[in-house]
Amino acid sequence: MSESEPPDPLRRLGREIDEARSRAGDGKPAGRGDVTASGNALGFGLRVGIELIAALIVGVGLGWLADRYIGTRPWGLIAGFFLGSAAGMMNVFRAAQGMGGGPPRGGRK
Amino acid sequence: MTEVSAPLEQFVIRPLVPIHIGTTDISYTNSALLMTIVVALIMLLLVGGTRRAALVPGRLQSLAEMSYEFVAGMVRENVGTDGFEYFPLVFSIFMFVLFGNFLGLIPYSFTFTGQIVVTFALAIFVFLLVTLVGLIRHGFHFFTFFFPAGAPVFMAPILVPIEVISYMSRPVSLGIRLFANMMAGHTMMAVFAGFTITLGVFGFLPIAINVAMFALEIIVCALQAYVFTILTCLYLRDAIHLH
Repeated sequence: MSESEPPDPLRRLGREIDEARSRAGDGKPAGRGDVTASGNALGFGLRVGIELIAALIVGVGLGWLADRYIGTRPWGLIAGFFLGSAAGMMNVFRAAQGMGGGPPRGGRK
Repeated sequence: MTEVSAPLEQFVIRPLVPIHIGTTDISYTNSALLMTIVVALIMLLLVGGTRRAALVPGRLQSLAEMSYEFVAGMVRENVGTDGFEYFPLVFSIFMFVLFGNFLGLIPYSFTFTGQIVVTFALAIFVFLLVTLVGLIRHGFHFFTFFFPAGAPVFMAPILVPIEVISYMSRPVSLGIRLFANMMAGHTMMAVFAGFTITLGVFGFLPIAINVAMFALEIIVCALQAYVFTILTCLYLRDAIHLH
């Protein structure tokens, strides 16, 4: 058999691409994107600060709304403040671990 | 210009075509105009880039393919291949924010991503969508998301509210992050530009700072569009894979 040029170079290229694709990923996410590496320290600080404030805004806002419509004044605001602070701390902790949110998964893989 | 404009004047929304339906003001504003331009530009890039698809891409096609590849890689890495059905959404969000950020850098244009209404609306949309995806995919199992696996059960009354607040803080942080970055950068540039006039002869100093800051702003524009998109991806991943 002669080593002539394959009948369809494009098809061969397509096959190679498919093989490379299947090697590159088995369809599972590769892990949390490392956003922390792509920014400078100032950017990261700003990001963490916003995480803290955002949770506090939500916590205090929910407490204030509960006070206003259920009439639990002032306990909703107080509880909301502390829960919001805790959630903010947790956000910061998670942001420091790697960007994104969500509770820790059950144990490391 | 006869007077020095205030640094925050650039964020004022001006109605271009006043439209009132009942008591609701739905005027076509400068913000809406910029959004229209952004969408038109994206359409132009993608339709024009793929109209005559060549094996060796030209400039426009190369740009369109690069943006596709970039977002596709982001979705593949952060959501997984089963998240690819959300690719059109992620791609639209990325292009919209990216073009909005960049067009806002052009002098005398308008930065709609520096408006908290716009960024917060985008963030709330992403949040609601992700929550719906999680609920539809996992049903009531989705709510185990709010209780960390392995924690003692008697901690639930404290942990669950904290997790719920943490979850609900996502759209707030997502919206504020983009808004704050765009608004802060543009305000700072306007402040320094104001110094140029008042400093007289030494006006070249703030100009030099502004040139450097413009370079920084270009990075921030791209980076914030990237961060907004990758966080959308991460939230989608949480909703799809849950545990």
